[in-house]
Amino acid sequence: MRILLVEDDLMIGEAIQAVLNDASYATDWVKNGLTALAALDTQSYDLVLLDLGLPGKDGLDVLDTIRARNNAVPLIIITARDALDDRLRGLDGGADDFLLKPFPMAELLARMRAVLRRRGGNAQSLLDNGEVSLNLVSKQATTAETRDVQLSNREFALLQALLIRPGAILSRSELEDRIYGWGNEVESNAVEFLIHALRRKLGSHVIKNVRGMGWMVSKGA
Amino acid sequence: MDGFKRRLRDSVQLRLSITLSLAILIVALLAGAFAFTSALDEAHEMQDDALRQVAALFDRQHMTLQYPSAEQAAGEDEDARIIVQYLADSEHAPSNNDNAIPLPFPTTLADGLSTLTIAGEAFRVLVKTTAAGQRIVVAQEADVRDKEARESAWRSLLPFLILFPVLLLVVGDLVRKLFRPIATLSAEIDQRDQQALHPIDEHHLPTEIRPFVVAINRLLKRVEQAMETQRRFIADAAHELRSPMTALSLQAERLKATPLSATAQERFLPLAEGIERNRKLIEQLLALASAQSLTARPQACVSVHAVFRQVLEDLLPLAEHKGIDIGVESLADVQVVINEMEMFILLKNLVDNAIRYTPAAGRVDLKVTAQRKTVLIEVTDSGPGIAVAEQRLVFDPFYRSLGTHESGSGLGLSIVMAIVERIGARIQLGFADEAKQSGLRVSVWITR
Repeated sequence: MRILLVEDDLMIGEAIQAVLNDASYATDWVKNGLTALAALDTQSYDLVLLDLGLPGKDGLDVLDTIRARNNAVPLIIITARDALDDRLRGLDGGADDFLLKPFPMAELLARMRAVLRRRGGNAQSLLDNGEVSLNLVSKQATTAETRDVQLSNREFALLQALLIRPGAILSRSELEDRIYGWGNEVESNAVEFLIHALRRKLGSHVIKNVRGMGWMVSKGA
Repeated sequence: MDGFKRRLRDSVQLRLSITLSLAILIVALLAGAFAFTSALDEAHEMQDDALRQVAALFDRQHMTLQYPSAEQAAGEDEDARIIVQYLADSEHAPSNNDNAIPLPFPTTLADGLSTLTIAGEAFRVLVKTTAAGQRIVVAQEADVRDKEARESAWRSLLPFLILFPVLLLVVGDLVRKLFRPIATLSAEIDQRDQQALHPIDEHHLPTEIRPFVVAINRLLKRVEQAMETQRRFIADAAHELRSPMTALSLQAERLKATPLSATAQERFLPLAEGIERNRKLIEQLLALASAQSLTARPQACVSVHAVFRQVLEDLLPLAEHKGIDIGVESLADVQVVINEMEMFILLKNLVDNAIRYTPAAGRVDLKVTAQRKTVLIEVTDSGPGIAVAEQRLVFDPFYRSLGTHESGSGLGLSIVMAIVERIGARIQLGFADEAKQSGLRVSVWITR
């Protein structure tokens, strides 16, 4: 995968480039907007990381120009500006995500993966939060202790709902919505029953209960 | 007395009231004294006139005198009567009895008015020589005359007695009314929010106060500008710190990824923690600057439980790390009209504090209750709580409780306070367990 990094700060640029290279992304690093546009003309990239406070041409202008040229390359804004206006202008202007400095590198990598996944359609067949991974085709779950545990349809639906956004808390009614189709009678305690079953199969730490709110799987590393 | 003097010096209203009252009092006294003496003189004058009229009447009608006996005289008002007698009869006055006529006047009296003491009583006496050559005496007791004169003089004072208190009341009321705009103005300024620096409306004020208010308005404007500059500086500075912080933290992450010796790894840990603390401080500074800014933010109907959920999703790792049981107590959700971001920052800071200051394996509870006009949100923890004496101090920026080992920025509750003031809410700190004086309970009332 080829990444274009547009960042004028030398220390930040250097660090991001090094980490991206370590993560097996081929990275081209440019330090201003005009060079970035020139690079996009000559080379096709899988993803652009764009800083907003650039010398010469502002990041948002660069974004506008990219989109005006009908270039639909996935793009993540990384910036120190947190004003809501900037955020909205960035996302409305066609950015796929918006990451506020300072950020841990793991977060940038996760956001990159998410954007690439979204752009690549639903081809992905595995959901993973670092503790448990779920195969969407075979409906089997794998944890550090267990391997390829077969799940029932409802267990699968529940775990899938939780794994789509690891770290998000889902309430009982939200989980019921995911498990039962329209018109299906909701059985009382069904959610507790399914969670009990999943914990027995995969280990009790996999699904966490938040008192008074609902359930979640941990966000992972 | 000193206190009164000071009040007199300080209060224009009091000085005006007292000066006017004194002026009215002095004028009333002088006018009263004049009216009293002139009325007294007037009355005496009239009584003398009456004596003259009687004498003239007697002379013109050529009356002859027949003295009534003592018994006959008893029927009339003995004191008020006017006595007429021949001066010559005084010689055979019966005794030193003022009831029986004739009375013993000295026969040597000259014509005209005089005041004499006869038989132990004062008399006003008129001696007149008639056309027939007889000398007659017209007399009246002085006591009665004086009494009547005094009565009429007192009556002349009555208007002053009524007017004086009425005038005092009118003056007092007038002065109070004239000063009312000032009182209203100060009440209006007193009720203002800390952040409200908009100019004072000067249109309904008397011209005497207006220049003063205009000057205050100019001052308010300057203060507002200064505060805005300060806020912008904090925001800009924190923004500018973000880039170097990013560079620092990314470089540190790279260092962590490289193979390090055991000592280096051990020393790397505090370095990473320091960077994390700095990052958090910058975020808190920005949040504080933003909470204190005047820009209005869009409001919407927000579900409190939804905000609870966001806060818990953010802070659960921290709570899990300390083994703290955190959860929501209230079953029913409540909606409140507010800016969602502000609500989130408010609650996140409260819950973050609760988790930080609660010892491992403690408990933190969130709760929302709908009240008649407000929504009550409570965050309760099983930590040590905050001593009553300290409860006001903890809202000051960078204040940190004595003996705390937590690496907080000291800004969390300042941010909370800024938001509370901004949205017109009310906050109160207390103990989760009042009897044991332990555990912190923060209650926030938000107007629906």
